[in-house]
Amino acid sequence: MKIRGILKNKYLLTGAGMTFIILFAALLSVFWTPYSTTAMSISERFAAPSPRHLFGTDNFGRDIFSRVMCGIGSTVLISFMIVAISATAGILIGAFTGYFGGILDEIVMRITDAINGFPSILLALVVISILGPGRHNLIVSLGIAFVPSYVRIVRGEFIRLRDADYIMRAKLMGVSKLRILFVHILPNIFSTFWVSVMIGFNNGILAESGMSYLGIGVQPPDATLGNMLSDAQGYLTRAPWYAIAPGLTIVWIVLGFSIFSEGVRREAERKGQYDKG
Amino acid sequence: MIRVKNLTVSFGGKTAVNGIDFEINKGEIVGVVGESGSGKSVTALSIMGLLSDEADICGGDVYFEETALLENGRKAEDSVYRTFRGNMISMIFQEPMTSLNPTKRVGAQVAEMLRLHTDTHKDEIRGRVCETFLSVGLKDPDELYDKYPHELSGGMRQRVMIAMGIICKPALIIADEPTTALDVTVQNQIIALLKRICSENTIGLLFITHDLNLAKRICNRVLVMKDGIIVEQGATKDIFEDPRNEYTKRLIEAVPSRIHKKDRGKPGKENVLSVSELNVFYRDGGNSLFSGKSLRHIIKDVSFEIKRGEILGLVGESGCGKTTLSKAVLGLNKNYTGKVEHFSEYPQMIFQDPYSSLNPTKTVGWLLMEPLRAKADQKPGVRYSAEDIRSAAYDMLKKVELSEDTFRKYPAQLSGGQRQRVSIGQALITHPSLVIADEPVSALDVTIQAQIMELMLKLKEDMALSYLFISHDINVVYQMCDRIMVMKSGEIVETGDTREIYESPREEYTRLLLAES
Repeated sequence: MKIRGILKNKYLLTGAGMTFIILFAALLSVFWTPYSTTAMSISERFAAPSPRHLFGTDNFGRDIFSRVMCGIGSTVLISFMIVAISATAGILIGAFTGYFGGILDEIVMRITDAINGFPSILLALVVISILGPGRHNLIVSLGIAFVPSYVRIVRGEFIRLRDADYIMRAKLMGVSKLRILFVHILPNIFSTFWVSVMIGFNNGILAESGMSYLGIGVQPPDATLGNMLSDAQGYLTRAPWYAIAPGLTIVWIVLGFSIFSEGVRREAERKGQYDKG
Repeated sequence: MIRVKNLTVSFGGKTAVNGIDFEINKGEIVGVVGESGSGKSVTALSIMGLLSDEADICGGDVYFEETALLENGRKAEDSVYRTFRGNMISMIFQEPMTSLNPTKRVGAQVAEMLRLHTDTHKDEIRGRVCETFLSVGLKDPDELYDKYPHELSGGMRQRVMIAMGIICKPALIIADEPTTALDVTVQNQIIALLKRICSENTIGLLFITHDLNLAKRICNRVLVMKDGIIVEQGATKDIFEDPRNEYTKRLIEAVPSRIHKKDRGKPGKENVLSVSELNVFYRDGGNSLFSGKSLRHIIKDVSFEIKRGEILGLVGESGCGKTTLSKAVLGLNKNYTGKVEHFSEYPQMIFQDPYSSLNPTKTVGWLLMEPLRAKADQKPGVRYSAEDIRSAAYDMLKKVELSEDTFRKYPAQLSGGQRQRVSIGQALITHPSLVIADEPVSALDVTIQAQIMELMLKLKEDMALSYLFISHDINVVYQMCDRIMVMKSGEIVETGDTREIYESPREEYTRLLLAES
């Protein structure tokens, strides 16, 4: 028991620590960065990492450390918005279709099947090509692209729980349908849903980076981790630190969140609310 | 043949088995009885060397004839265990559903035992398996060999498990609640089978059960366990007729029997429920758009009524439609024809499994208050203040004999018996006149069972309730009910006063059910 308890805390602590560093850097960048993110300096192009420029400088002589700090902020925020949109839509659609079933469920599921037929990045590309590039459109398009995955999970859980004894009992009491859906059932899918939210969060970060890398996400000179990677690819041999800095930061964020979410899940399980059987 | 000395096992510092000694001789059937958590299964698993990694064997020896399986708390090499498991000692589990691999044909699964433990020639394997199938009473073994577990009934699966257990001619079988998941009639056949096989082949049997009646019928000797200690052991006859230990006495007394039944007041005249010519259908294939909408006829022409203050028992084997009937009566299944008339408001239900009938994410207090909140929502005239609801919930806690600090606990923090009390409280808090109790005590230990039955009877008097009491346990029904309906394949075959039915059953099927226990 004891050893397992510590192990659980380790997940939570490590994950929280890693995430905290990221969020702190992002928050700090709003008020202060070592250098201006847009200040160019021709004389200092492609300076290697040094005490003066921790992560080196890029092709315009901008400080990469400062840009990464700002990049974290936009990337994390964008990813958060994507998850918020897709998870909320996923819960609403999944809850109704899963609980009520029938023809509505059948139609919605076929639509999500169709959406699932395309890679989500490709789908987002189509939406963006209609709406045009930019930060907000990026969020909306990726948000829509990720909805089906949540719908599937939420729907499955609602189908599993709709015939549970305690739900039958709630029906007998005459609890209203909406209350059964969101007060009686929803908390019970937390541990499953939390995992997919966290995976979704990481997917969001990677997708944003991917889209910005393709040049259709956040537009320069604003820094995101994705468009920094995109810029860096031309100078991979000349200034490898330009790609490594944002790349490693993405790895760090994703890893931190994954460990953190695992910790939260285990903690919830330990609390005993989600016992097996 | 097998000797267990001073065996002590703990889980994370909590002792599960505390220094137990016993032995089993050749061809002897030894029963281990006790309530859940008494360490029965842990004992069995430690003999087999199958305890999980979290278990900590603190000490003790297990000898099989001259070989040490466990010496001074140290386990023998895995290779030693492997030659013993299956070959010399085999195990039969409770749940035949999960202990067979669903993706493999049953014949192949049994044959695997032969392949692993003997050098039977390939061509003989099938023959040997079919022979064993026959000896455990399975018909058409050749056809059965190529079937998958899901194609078999529960009883057949358990027979397959037994075939698997005896095919290598072991010296000892450990059976952990082998009949608990089965119906009474099937249960009896399996017990008879185990008894026959053991005496024919002089196989020793360690029979683990929580059911004292079963132990009484099959065992030569019985060990009574409580909190990891053997409180009493001896010949079955001695234990049951002249128990020395206080706990054993209590255990034996708690078993519902047909001997003592208190007389109760007569139920009232007015109906609280009347059901006439009820036919209930079940829709196959869920509610998908493209699956056929075939309706299966489950309940056929059932009529009955329940008077105020009456307890009507409904007995029958699993699959006979008891639960389907109750759902139709409560309006949870709308696919029915016939008439269901309620003469009271808010009929409620108590479920069998206290682990799945309480929402695990809510506190006990929330659970008790929810029915009142729902009632207030439904009826525009009814208004409760938050304070009323809260004090009603505390009152209910007192009525079901739970302490006040239970209010803030989650169901996972409660024991099975406590949960069932919360469950009862939740059903009764809106003051229904009729409560349908679907196997309310079947999942509980005997001593808890007795307490819950007593509570239900007490609340019936206090709150003027009527129960429709569904159970497969004939003795429980005898204790609880004023009147009994016997159900078979969706039809009521016999109805009558409890005593009448027990003393002079008219139908063959009723006689069969009664004879079982």
